[in-house]
Amino acid sequence: MRARYPDSDGIVVRDGVEIRYERYGQGWPAILLLPTWSIVHSRHWKMQVPYLARHFTVVCFDGRGSGGSGRPADASAYSDIAFASDAVAVMDAAGIDSAVLVSVSCGAFWALRLCAEHPDRVLGSVFIAPTAPLVPPLAVRRVQRFDKVLDDPVGWQTYNAHYWKTNYPEFVTFFVGRIFIEQHSTKQIEDAIGWALEIDGETLAAAHRGLECCDAAATRRLAARAACPVLVMHGTHDALRGHAEGEALADCTGGALVTLAGAGHFPHARDPVRVNLLIKQFADRVRR
Amino acid sequence: MRARTPDREGVVQRDGVRVAFEVFGHGEPALLLIPASPITHARSWKGIVPSLARRFTVITTDGRGTGRSDRPHTSECYAPAEVTADLLAVLDAAGVDLAFLVAHCHAVPWALCLAADHPERVAGLLAIDPAVAVAPPHPHTLEPDRRWADAVDAPSGWAMRNRHFWRQDGGYREWIEFFFGQQLPEPHSTKQYEDTVGWALDTDAEAMIAEREGRAAPAGSEAEALCRRVRCPVRVLHGSDDRCQPVARGRRLAELTGGDLVVLEGAGHLPHGRDPVKVTRLITGFVDRITGAPMYTTTWTRGPCRPRRALFLSSPIGLGHARRDVAVAKELKRLRPELEIDWLAQHPVTTVLEAEGERIHPASQWLASESAHVASEAAGHDLHCFQALRRMDEILVANFMVFQEVVEEGRYDLVIGDEAWDVDYYWHENPELKRGQNVWLTDFVGYLPMPDGGEREAFLTTDYNAEMIEHIDRYPWIRDRAIFVGQDHDIVPDTFGGSLPAIRDWTTRHFSYSGYITGFTPPEPDEVAPLRSELGYRDDELVCVVAVGGSGVGQALIDKVAAAYPLAKKAVPELRMIVVTGPRIDPAAFPQRAGLELRGYVHRLYQHLCVCDLAIVQGGLTTTMELTAAKRPFLYFPLGHHFEQNFHVRHRLDRYGAGHCMDYATTDPDLIAAHITELAGKPVSYRDVETDGAARAAQLIAELI
Repeated sequence: MRARYPDSDGIVVRDGVEIRYERYGQGWPAILLLPTWSIVHSRHWKMQVPYLARHFTVVCFDGRGSGGSGRPADASAYSDIAFASDAVAVMDAAGIDSAVLVSVSCGAFWALRLCAEHPDRVLGSVFIAPTAPLVPPLAVRRVQRFDKVLDDPVGWQTYNAHYWKTNYPEFVTFFVGRIFIEQHSTKQIEDAIGWALEIDGETLAAAHRGLECCDAAATRRLAARAACPVLVMHGTHDALRGHAEGEALADCTGGALVTLAGAGHFPHARDPVRVNLLIKQFADRVRR
Repeated sequence: MRARTPDREGVVQRDGVRVAFEVFGHGEPALLLIPASPITHARSWKGIVPSLARRFTVITTDGRGTGRSDRPHTSECYAPAEVTADLLAVLDAAGVDLAFLVAHCHAVPWALCLAADHPERVAGLLAIDPAVAVAPPHPHTLEPDRRWADAVDAPSGWAMRNRHFWRQDGGYREWIEFFFGQQLPEPHSTKQYEDTVGWALDTDAEAMIAEREGRAAPAGSEAEALCRRVRCPVRVLHGSDDRCQPVARGRRLAELTGGDLVVLEGAGHLPHGRDPVKVTRLITGFVDRITGAPMYTTTWTRGPCRPRRALFLSSPIGLGHARRDVAVAKELKRLRPELEIDWLAQHPVTTVLEAEGERIHPASQWLASESAHVASEAAGHDLHCFQALRRMDEILVANFMVFQEVVEEGRYDLVIGDEAWDVDYYWHENPELKRGQNVWLTDFVGYLPMPDGGEREAFLTTDYNAEMIEHIDRYPWIRDRAIFVGQDHDIVPDTFGGSLPAIRDWTTRHFSYSGYITGFTPPEPDEVAPLRSELGYRDDELVCVVAVGGSGVGQALIDKVAAAYPLAKKAVPELRMIVVTGPRIDPAAFPQRAGLELRGYVHRLYQHLCVCDLAIVQGGLTTTMELTAAKRPFLYFPLGHHFEQNFHVRHRLDRYGAGHCMDYATTDPDLIAAHITELAGKPVSYRDVETDGAARAAQLIAELI
């Protein structure tokens, strides 16, 4: 059973892709919990929704490729612009003029695009463990070769289109294990693996390719245009996106940085209380 | 002593009437605190100013009619337009364009006028127990107010609010004493009562009458219209037991202004005096909500990843507890090597901590000096320490707010307070603020009245003891462990006063006994000679150490002993006298005498005491017990009116059969010289002092983590 069910839900169709969204609560301002990479769907916000919905209007949606949303096969359907446009369409459908954005990981790409290109719709933006390629990636990930056929890939080499065709569940197990490096994270790991297995390797590969345009230059350009209040939180033990990425993004946007010492890549799932309080504090501040 | 002195003082003058103001701090935004003058003045905010001023610019005014302001006796001078013009002039003079207003009682209508007529100057309004006539007054005030101008014969109670009565000899004072008794229905409010009555008597009956007749506060629909014109955010605080203004007025004010209402259940009319911690937090929360709480770059550490940490608070009055607390901390680290200990401490304790390489929390710099306060309370060889503690109220609350901010960062598993009165008191008064396990250490329990304090002092000490007992009874979970530094027989045979229990029985029920903690092991007989030589003392001289502890009190005793020195030196040529003035008294302040040695702070003074042939000291527990443990002969002079030195310490020393108690007032230099001659170098037979106190205390603490 869920801790809280949506007060309303719906589907918007954009460019032929169905996007499923949910709306909770009625407080002001609205909080838009953005999708992240399509490997998980909107249930990854399950620890945030019930609390935030007691104070704010909360809207979330399954990102294209995940959950109850459509699964286009073409990589071009997964660009940051596509996700950002979905977000605007969902806000329109849910009757939300403006919102505080909360994003995780590569959700940072669409959050930045919304901040830069739809400033009237954005009151502020919270970035959790952002993917911000403003600094080099973690050293351990430099072995990744996404399109190359590899013999017996291990570790980060399994981040590979060919491997996903045959061994997607093994990749998911590895990948989710890197998300949750904190001790005693079995439930979070089971949840994330379950959500990840709701899609297949080909769809995820398309979602990966759609984001290849999001490079350092594009990120810096968008970040410089983000004028709204920004809060970045980033774990010191994030094994996917280094803490330096969060620092760099806070720096670029003039935002505040909260360092989560000992935390991994999904602090909203592993340390939900602190993350909830930080989101609430930020939204209260924006609300004035 | 004040917890914080203003950074700037000034006076504005309008039509010949001068109104004084003070400015504290430099932060944003500015807060203008408006008292209900002239019945009270700027000092009524003393419990909240120091902590607010650490973040904001805080401006206080006395208001026309009282304090350092003029006292016009014509009612026109107190028209609302005059008062609001004063307040604008104060803001101008302080260079403040936009301020939050915090107003109490009948100052709230002035604040409403300012907010309605000068919205560009007012960022928000926090009204405490507002006297705004948007709901009926208390019934008990109706008849007296109707007969305000009548000649009422021998009125009592609320009927004393009467112009003729105030003009009678003693009438105004009688009214004030009644009025503030009504406004402080909370038990144990003696200090707040004395304060508010004192401030009310700072003005005179004529100014009070003129203000009351010139007040012209709007009522009914006019008052409602005024409230509706206010556009800024409003918060109303109202005590449920306010006998001056009914809660209905606060509620209606909040409705009319679209503000929020916080009812302080069980509180009277003066919550900023009686519940300063809560009121400060409500003000800060209100301002933060409107201006946005600062969101600093910060680190939050996952719970499981945190090192175990303790915050140690060592009573900062003198050096008494520093040595033993360091000893307890060292034993604790031995038992729990992973434990990190920070110290929230102030001078002179920091002197010892720095010398021992302990880690001092940076917030320590914000603490108001308790030692300086105590020194300011002393006169000669006299320190009424109970009253000094009562008058330390604003310093305690200021320091508590610093402490609370430190623990709210959530990094401490354990708080150890060695007579940290502020923490113990305010956590019991605000139990929801407790963070971490809490250990309370003390070496005495129970305030005892000095005989010449009469019934009043006996009443007050009983009241303070009763409040402490009720605190422990109501919230037994605030102190996770209470440790008495000593044994049960060290506790005086007295009761807490009145019908309260015997101190020893009660303490045994609520405390664990660690035994005494000297903080060092006295030298064995064969170790004395080498230590003496190491410290520069020869075998063929009789070393007399004169020490006055670590507070700034002691000059009078040093003067008297120094006068005895030539006499004693004549009788005992091998005498060598070393006067240690301590960290807070400058040795250069004393005239030089041939042969007499003066020193300031001496690190590890106990080593000198352990090898001396005689010591002359005050009646403080630590120094006398160091001498007892080392079995040295000593004279001790309890400070006059110091109940702890005169009763608690003396009782303990008598049990050990240690020391010669001397009365400062009746002792002349000849008598001191005679005692030096008689006692120096003579053997003593004291009961042994335990040497495992620190280890036992540490064990009791370690069990909690």
